[in-house]
Amino acid sequence: MIPHDILTLYAAKPVEYLIAVAFLLLFVPFWRYVQGGQAVRERAVARAPRLVPRLVEWFALPERLSYHPGHAWVRVERDDLATVGMDDFAHKLVGPLVGVRLPAPGTRVALGEPAWTLLADNRGVEMLSPVDGVVLETNPGAVTPGRPTDDPYGRGWLLRVQPTRLGANLRTLLNGEVARRWTAAAADALRGRLSPELGLVYQDGGVPVHGVARSLDPEHWDRIAREFFLTDGDH
Amino acid sequence: MGDTLTRSTDVRPWLSQKLFMGLPPGAYVRSLVTPGNILAALILAVGVPILIYRFVYGLGAVTNLSQTTPWGLWIGFDMLAGIALAAGGYTIASAVYIFGLKEYRPIVRPAVLTGFLGYLFAVIALLADLGQPWRIPYPIVYSAGPTSVMFEVGWCVFLYTTVLFIEFTPALFEWLGLRTLRRYAVQLTLSATVFGVVLSTLHQSSLGALFLMTPTKLHPLWYSSFIPLYFFISSIAAGLSMVILETALAHRLFRDQLDPSRHVDIDALILGLAKAASVVLFTYIFVQLQGLADGGDWALLLTAYGGWYVFEVGGLAAVPCFLFAHAARTASAPLARIAAALTVLGIILNRLNVSVVAMNWNASERYVPSWMEIVVSVTIVTMGLLTYRWIVSRMPVLREHPDYADAH
Amino acid sequence: MNLSRRTFFKVATVVGATGLAGGRLEAAPQRMAGAAQRSMLVDTTRCIGCRSCEVACAEANVLPDPALEAPIEVRRVTDPEAFTVVNAYQPRGADGPRFVKTQCNHCVEPGCASACPVRALEKTASGPVVYHEDRCIGCRYCMLACPFEIPKYEYHKAVPYVRKCEFCADRQAKGLAPACASVCPSGALQVGTRAELIEEARRRIYQNDGRYVPHIYGEHEVGGTSWLYLSDVPFEDIGLRTDLGVRGFAELTQASLAAVPLVMMLWPPFLMALYTFSRRRETTAAAPAGEEASHG
Repeated sequence: MIPHDILTLYAAKPVEYLIAVAFLLLFVPFWRYVQGGQAVRERAVARAPRLVPRLVEWFALPERLSYHPGHAWVRVERDDLATVGMDDFAHKLVGPLVGVRLPAPGTRVALGEPAWTLLADNRGVEMLSPVDGVVLETNPGAVTPGRPTDDPYGRGWLLRVQPTRLGANLRTLLNGEVARRWTAAAADALRGRLSPELGLVYQDGGVPVHGVARSLDPEHWDRIAREFFLTDGDH
Repeated sequence: MGDTLTRSTDVRPWLSQKLFMGLPPGAYVRSLVTPGNILAALILAVGVPILIYRFVYGLGAVTNLSQTTPWGLWIGFDMLAGIALAAGGYTIASAVYIFGLKEYRPIVRPAVLTGFLGYLFAVIALLADLGQPWRIPYPIVYSAGPTSVMFEVGWCVFLYTTVLFIEFTPALFEWLGLRTLRRYAVQLTLSATVFGVVLSTLHQSSLGALFLMTPTKLHPLWYSSFIPLYFFISSIAAGLSMVILETALAHRLFRDQLDPSRHVDIDALILGLAKAASVVLFTYIFVQLQGLADGGDWALLLTAYGGWYVFEVGGLAAVPCFLFAHAARTASAPLARIAAALTVLGIILNRLNVSVVAMNWNASERYVPSWMEIVVSVTIVTMGLLTYRWIVSRMPVLREHPDYADAH
Repeated sequence: MNLSRRTFFKVATVVGATGLAGGRLEAAPQRMAGAAQRSMLVDTTRCIGCRSCEVACAEANVLPDPALEAPIEVRRVTDPEAFTVVNAYQPRGADGPRFVKTQCNHCVEPGCASACPVRALEKTASGPVVYHEDRCIGCRYCMLACPFEIPKYEYHKAVPYVRKCEFCADRQAKGLAPACASVCPSGALQVGTRAELIEEARRRIYQNDGRYVPHIYGEHEVGGTSWLYLSDVPFEDIGLRTDLGVRGFAELTQASLAAVPLVMMLWPPFLMALYTFSRRRETTAAAPAGEEASHG
């Protein structure tokens, strides 16, 4: 049978309409099936960075933040409000957290002094505050056990602080090109510790970058972290 | 003059770096002796003389083409399947540059390179197949036959190969250190991508439209006014599947090319592509059903050719469709790769069916490719793979060029 | 021509009978396709199988002499060196063999000419489908597109060409008859315009009272051909396919080609809209985080 031009209007047989309707009806459940269930969502959260910030080596380092050498960041929202958190290097270094001990609202924090503690694997690792100020608000939801945040600069913020010496603080912090070089140096230092089995470094087999310290040294990962966070007592 | 002196001594190290990867020529040649290369050399050693023989003594001396079967393996496999499988270029490029799916950026360059080489070697196979290949520019420059779908295919493939080359030039210019040219090339990316999608839509569907002229020769289950749609939709699935396969392969074979400081979650990308491929194949199956309804040839499904049709569409399109869906759902990259392999086989089978197997299906004498045709096909594919490897080993395709890492 | 009412009714009846007996044919088109084009009427009841046409064709086209000692009963097809062949058939229920001349049918809407990307095959206004050697690239699409499988290729040559009957276009341009018709002793081959020959064919069918199959082969097949056949036995029995449909092959790709400019115009705005939309979403997503949107 010689078929006709598809661009010519022709009387579509009823079965063709049926097939089209069947397609539309079946498409919705198919789409939902493909989008997947819990496993996929968790994996997506774990793997996909939400923002597309500047990447230095492995680590995201957004431009407009200022960084403390202990791997905390501060973002100035207003003259009297700053948001504080841990940077991607810290986030990836330590990996999935059980929780975080945050200072209560009203607590005073000081630049270079321990401000909060990351909890994982029955250990706590302290991090230094990047600013002087008073804690206004905390974000305990930054860390949900079993569901690691992958957004340390966005939804993973830790403290909202009213800074008391913002100008002076900012002058001592790192940003821009200097911050990039500092992160690259940290990455170098980290890479220097990596064993010759470079298999740890490649991303084609599902080896997590999240939690490098723990992959490196399951026994003493907290010591490694404290070295980088400058809270190992030597500082 | 000082300048000339410097330039002449500059060339040797530049050549050595670019061509021999920094090794002295002797060492480079020695490094080439690997089992894979030996196999490739054997293939070329047999295939190239056959090609020469074909050009000296004519098609009849090498192929089993006949007066009833003017098109054979070289058209069915190298040209039709080759172009369908090279569709990864426009699919990934549009994903990144038009739909804004930035996470696929790491695989844009390999996909564009695969696309470009796919088209280039499909054209080379066409040169082997044409009776007077030196006249290949004729539809472009000498005599136009605009009533012909093949005229349109010729123009489209010509323009699109050019577009793919333009899309690849940023990598080329980075390799050659030509910053300004690279900047211009990058500015062309968006227009090149849009143009590329237009051209790809046209020629992928037109390759199918070629067969609209054969209602009396092509088996009714494959002949339909929807053939252009079939070819276009299946080309998207083919492109996605090829990208999945070659990404997985490249990351295994070209490990040394990968930049460890770039965090690329290949599995997540593969799963995203798998999701897309499942939807495309799902749609494809229903479009095939519409074609069956339009032709009214349901009864033919019960014949031998009907069984073959069900195997092709059911086994090699429906099955991968659900494998992809399941892989996406359960986040299983290995399953996605299996589905991709099945899809690629299905596309090749479909193109061969339309052009050779279901063509002249009721003729008394059927075409079977000669061993020489098969060798030439394998040779052309081998040459394509070798070219791919040569480029990927030298140019920033799988990795970023350190000088341009910031410039995105 | 003068149509008396009687003739009119006779012709109308034949046309109607043709429509009914034609099976898969549709009703005859109102205006006859290619009415003024040079055509040939082949009356297979008159062919005696002498094959003088083969000899004349070979001579006119500078081809090797046909091997006349080869038995005519062995089914032959045209060849790069033989533009026409005469085959013998033994149709069931017939009183003897039937001889049928095969050559290019010079369709009114030729698939080969439509398919040729360089217009090497061209339907001339006067009727013959001619071949321009200087344009052919050897893609062989014409061979695929011809439902009669007429174009033949010189696979054995390093510089090959397509070969087929060209209806002696040069001779006809000079007012001569094609070589085959000029030597046919039995009057099986008759030259004329398509309108004239169809009229003549109908007259023969009518006047010979049931002798002929009431169908002119080539009147509507594949949109009409210039070479028309009459037979007194079913056409399938003398090697002429009756399942080719009535659509001109040139029409088959029309819709596809018409879509090309539409795609060229519609895709870019659609794609740019998608692009703008995706950029908008990206900037909105990046804004709350206070980041610069990365450049595309």
